[in-house]
Amino acid sequence: MVRETRSGPRFSERFPEKFSEFGQRKPVEDGIVARSRRGEIGESWWSGRFLAVLTALGVGGRLSRGKTYARAGQVVDLAIEPGAITATVQGSRDEPYRARLGLRPWADEAWDAVLDALAADSWYAAALLAGEVPDDLEDVLARVGLSLFPQGSGELPMDCSCPDWSVPCKHLAAVAYLAAEEFDVDPFALLRWRGRDRVTLLAELRDRRDAGAGVPTALEDLLDRFHRPGVPIPEPPAPARAPASDALLDDLPPLALDDRSDAREVLRPLYRRLGEPPVGGVG
Amino acid sequence: MLALHALWSPGRGVCLWAEDPDLPARSTSRARRGARPHPFAVPAERLAAVWDIPTATAGVAVLALPSDPDAPRDSDDLDRGETGPHAGAPVLADWTVPVLELPPGVGPPTPPEGTRASPSVAALRAVDALAADLVTRGRLLPAPDEDDGGDAAKRSSTRIDRLVWRPVLQGPDLVAADTLAAALPPVCRCERVPGEGTASATGVVEAALAAAVDAHARARITGTEELAAAPDWAHALGDAPVLGDPAPPGALVAGLRRWAVVGAPHAGPARASFRLDEVVADEFHHALDDPEPVFRLTFALQSAQDLSLTVDADTVWRDPTALRRWLDDPAEVLLGELGRAARVYPELGEALRVPRPGGMDLDLAGAHHFLAHVAADLDRAGFGVLLPAGWRAGPARLGLAAAGGHAERPDGVVETGAKIGKDDLVDFSWRLAVDGEELTDDEMDALIRAKAPLVRLRGRWVSLDADRLRDGLAFLAERRDRPTVGDVLHLATTHPDDVPAPLPVESLRLEGELGDLLAGGTTLEPLDTPSGVRATLRPYQRRGLSWLAFLAGLRLGGVLADDMGLGKTLQVLALEAHERAEGDPGPTLLVCPTSVVSTWAREAARFVPELRVAVHHGAGRADPAGKAGDADLVVTSYGTLVRDTDDLAEIAWHRVVLDEAQMVKNNRSRAAKAVRRLDAGHRLALTGTPVENRLAELWSIMDAVNPGMLGSATAFRERYAVPVERHGRVDVAEDLRRRTRPFLLRRLKTDPTVVDDLPEKIETVERCGLTGEQASLYRVVVDEMLDKLDDVEPGIERRGRVLAAMTKLKQVCDHPALLLHDGSPVGRRSGKIARLEEILAEVLAAGDKALLFTQFAAFGDLLAPHLAARFDTEVAWLHGGVSRKARDTMVERFQSGDGPSLFLLSLRAGGTGITLTAAQHVVHLDRWWNPAVEDQATDRAFRIGQRRTVGVRKLVCAGTLEERIDELVANKRALADLAVRDGEDWLTDLSTDELAKVLTLDAEPEDPEEGDDDDGA
Repeated sequence: MVRETRSGPRFSERFPEKFSEFGQRKPVEDGIVARSRRGEIGESWWSGRFLAVLTALGVGGRLSRGKTYARAGQVVDLAIEPGAITATVQGSRDEPYRARLGLRPWADEAWDAVLDALAADSWYAAALLAGEVPDDLEDVLARVGLSLFPQGSGELPMDCSCPDWSVPCKHLAAVAYLAAEEFDVDPFALLRWRGRDRVTLLAELRDRRDAGAGVPTALEDLLDRFHRPGVPIPEPPAPARAPASDALLDDLPPLALDDRSDAREVLRPLYRRLGEPPVGGVG
Repeated sequence: MLALHALWSPGRGVCLWAEDPDLPARSTSRARRGARPHPFAVPAERLAAVWDIPTATAGVAVLALPSDPDAPRDSDDLDRGETGPHAGAPVLADWTVPVLELPPGVGPPTPPEGTRASPSVAALRAVDALAADLVTRGRLLPAPDEDDGGDAAKRSSTRIDRLVWRPVLQGPDLVAADTLAAALPPVCRCERVPGEGTASATGVVEAALAAAVDAHARARITGTEELAAAPDWAHALGDAPVLGDPAPPGALVAGLRRWAVVGAPHAGPARASFRLDEVVADEFHHALDDPEPVFRLTFALQSAQDLSLTVDADTVWRDPTALRRWLDDPAEVLLGELGRAARVYPELGEALRVPRPGGMDLDLAGAHHFLAHVAADLDRAGFGVLLPAGWRAGPARLGLAAAGGHAERPDGVVETGAKIGKDDLVDFSWRLAVDGEELTDDEMDALIRAKAPLVRLRGRWVSLDADRLRDGLAFLAERRDRPTVGDVLHLATTHPDDVPAPLPVESLRLEGELGDLLAGGTTLEPLDTPSGVRATLRPYQRRGLSWLAFLAGLRLGGVLADDMGLGKTLQVLALEAHERAEGDPGPTLLVCPTSVVSTWAREAARFVPELRVAVHHGAGRADPAGKAGDADLVVTSYGTLVRDTDDLAEIAWHRVVLDEAQMVKNNRSRAAKAVRRLDAGHRLALTGTPVENRLAELWSIMDAVNPGMLGSATAFRERYAVPVERHGRVDVAEDLRRRTRPFLLRRLKTDPTVVDDLPEKIETVERCGLTGEQASLYRVVVDEMLDKLDDVEPGIERRGRVLAAMTKLKQVCDHPALLLHDGSPVGRRSGKIARLEEILAEVLAAGDKALLFTQFAAFGDLLAPHLAARFDTEVAWLHGGVSRKARDTMVERFQSGDGPSLFLLSLRAGGTGITLTAAQHVVHLDRWWNPAVEDQATDRAFRIGQRRTVGVRKLVCAGTLEERIDELVANKRALADLAVRDGEDWLTDLSTDELAKVLTLDAEPEDPEEGDDDDGA
């Protein structure tokens, strides 16, 4: 990924009006439309942190046009994958542009360290599962030398197939805004971008937790209590807790048989009989 | 002793085996591969003898057991007497063991005597017990047996050979099954089946449950008449598992597969729940001796559909795999829920900073915070909150309770009775009350010291609102001084909203005489009849005097509301005499209706001759100041009071007595305003009816004697009048009664305490029949009225018509002649007269006298000569046309011994103002619908002076409006003390349909029996 280095006023700042007349965007059916209709996009602190990286680049005009694109539904599709957010954006040309925001996934060793830390403190998983990025998650990551967010634009390579040589262009900006909204509702999306999807991440956490829980199930691991119950054997249930032994039949769908009888009604007298345990109990 | 074991064999079901300590401990086999014979397992034939199960079959199983190189390790339950040291860690090795295979679905029986059973037996017995319980509760479904050797071709077809019963594991049953799996000793699943691994605990429990449920269910229905009556296919669920010919109904198998979805294990969506407990013992069950209480908040997963299904977080962490069967990701669900809850309850976050959070410990402050605030927030946010019984989320109701004892003069002398003064001090203490329960000193101390407003009260923890608690404690700290009697009584009578305390005063207990006063003064020591009184007070009158004197000593106003005839006049005069025995307190002003001004003067002269009485009334009256100067009692009328208010208000009266105080029931009346201007040290009101129509009247009378005591008229209306009158709030009425009780003394003639002093009154309703003539006339009147009402708008005209019709109906009930105005003879045309004649025959035979009341003068005109002729006796007839003089003569003659025995009175002319105690019988010939009016008439006979029991009879024609309304009046009477509306207006407001119900004749006529007596006409 090669980023242009520029000096002097940017193109858009030199010819702002002209650029805005560059072309009319083509309408898109079923595009991804930003939920935010006005003002800022990105409600959570974490999507704010992500967008701050773009804001710091100082391409204000393009960002606001990107916001307009995001709200107009110009983004046809968007995928947050390990290492990259890729999207198709409909611009003024017939052919939609391909936009991509890259982010270096953490190495497996780094992930192991992260997962170890997360498994040791279930607050993080609890918050993530509750739809929030815990505000001290970055501290944990910092301890293993990682950062959740790109540290400046240098860690956020972006490219787009549009002719605009500004980075980000409005297409990339639109994609970033929509990604931010995705991060709002699913903080796991941020982690997926860093290399682990939700299912994998939770499974790895679960494995670590279960390993610590120390409940082995294989016979080989149970030789020390081979004849003993794992938990106290429950007392036999108190007899007859339910009002009627045929109540379950009422929850069943009708089962009409060939002879026009309903299997439920055929069975009902038998169920009533089942409700009468033999005198003397069992065993 | 044999050690018995049970296991679940995937192919064979429950198998039993045993170890024998007397067999060699070591194996001689040197085989390196394959299973070796277990050296000390009991041989099959001996097993069968030990267990004695005829249906069991002997077999051999390969078991994987913890072993040393040359022998399986002894089980925990095998007792050899001595145990050699083990060389090293055991390894799993296979041994062939003789087993006893139990028939399908049969659980291990009770272990025989002389053996020792390992937990494996108990575990499989528990599985069997759950299966039996599932069957009993009907938690099972028939299903096609599709577990048929994995034959996919067979499975896909609808040709199913067998039906089986499958357990339905849902909700708590699922947890029970999972708990069984967690408990299952590994030895229960140690059979080594060639080509397969050993079974999982969950798999064993599932399979054992399924087999046992199927077996129990079949056993219970086999041979029953229900099964005999069932179609062929159903027999596959009983003793004939194979579906034979004819083939099962086509839809059956597919339908049963659909049912299996309903019966699939699930517990529904789950939420986090939080259970707060006090920790009373540590994890080793040692009681905690830490004086500071410790609380534990336990996290759990709770089924949102079945709240009884709750799994502690520790269980979720211990074995999440088992729970995964009913919840996709139990651990993730729990964690996510906890994360969500941490937003509501941020302190929770700290407790999550471990790998497997199970709960958090709370100190007193934390527990208070949780109970007072968090619990409700969590509940609102959709989480479960479980508290021990008696605990409650949210702050408890905090109030004040006051208790006091005896009054003392400021110089320390304890006073009693009427000597207690308003400024005496009362031994008095305030306490806090929680949920209405008064705290003890210890509990209050604990609360003051507590770091959080959480108090253990009667075995439960109660959280309090910190601000209110602080205010309450501050209030208590300020109340160190002893209050005066006046303060305390003021507190007792003031509405809580008006008490200047930060918390509501929930209870006030007073001991001694003050307490007695609050309780209604019924046990005050009665005063003796004062020396100047020329009469002997009855016991209840002496109690009344004592009460009056007590209030007077406290300079508190009172309302003496005794029933008419109980001697209110005498009690007031006795009070004046009592006080004047000790000196001259100054003049008393007595205000009464004009009609009784002279009566008062006369009575005063009669009962207390020494009392100097002056009358300030009538034309040419002098300046009252002169009279007050040398009189003890100044009697005036309300009218004169209004006219001479300025003059009378100049005088400092010792007391003002308001006789017939209902005259001031309207607080905006000129009389009431004038009374308020009077300057008096003490005020009394006398009335027989403190509340005639509305509660506001009580307020007016109370306010006249104790200004301001019941608050403003508006406040009274809001607090009492509206809730009681409009909403029928009994509790509010009781509260009002409690507050006014110290100042209102009302004795009814029927009071047990008064009845001792008065003869009894026996009321009966006599039902009479109608003659055929009466009945047909009655119907005509009703039909005519209902007919006419149809085209009349509600209003005066309609009321008029209803009233007119009801008058006619009552007349018909009395006698047809009253309606027909035909002057026709009395004859035997009225059932009521027939009954009356019977009653009077009895009365006269006993030599008694009777009063007969009617509201129809025409009836009296007709009846008087009839009865006179019928009984050949004089009948006095008092009606509106009789002159005053003739009336007095009549009364006098009746009261004397030789007068007439029967006194016929019109209700209007004879209902009030006269005393006819010579009569022992009162007959109401027709009903007046306001019970108070009837009672008043009855009281002519039932007055002071009556020495015998009075029989009161009310004649009512059965099936007519008289009877219907008698029932209504009886119901109304229950409320009569609070409010009864006058007259018959309430009847006229009934709808036409309701009227039809009340009025329509509901009885067959019954003509008086022939030969009853001769016709007196």
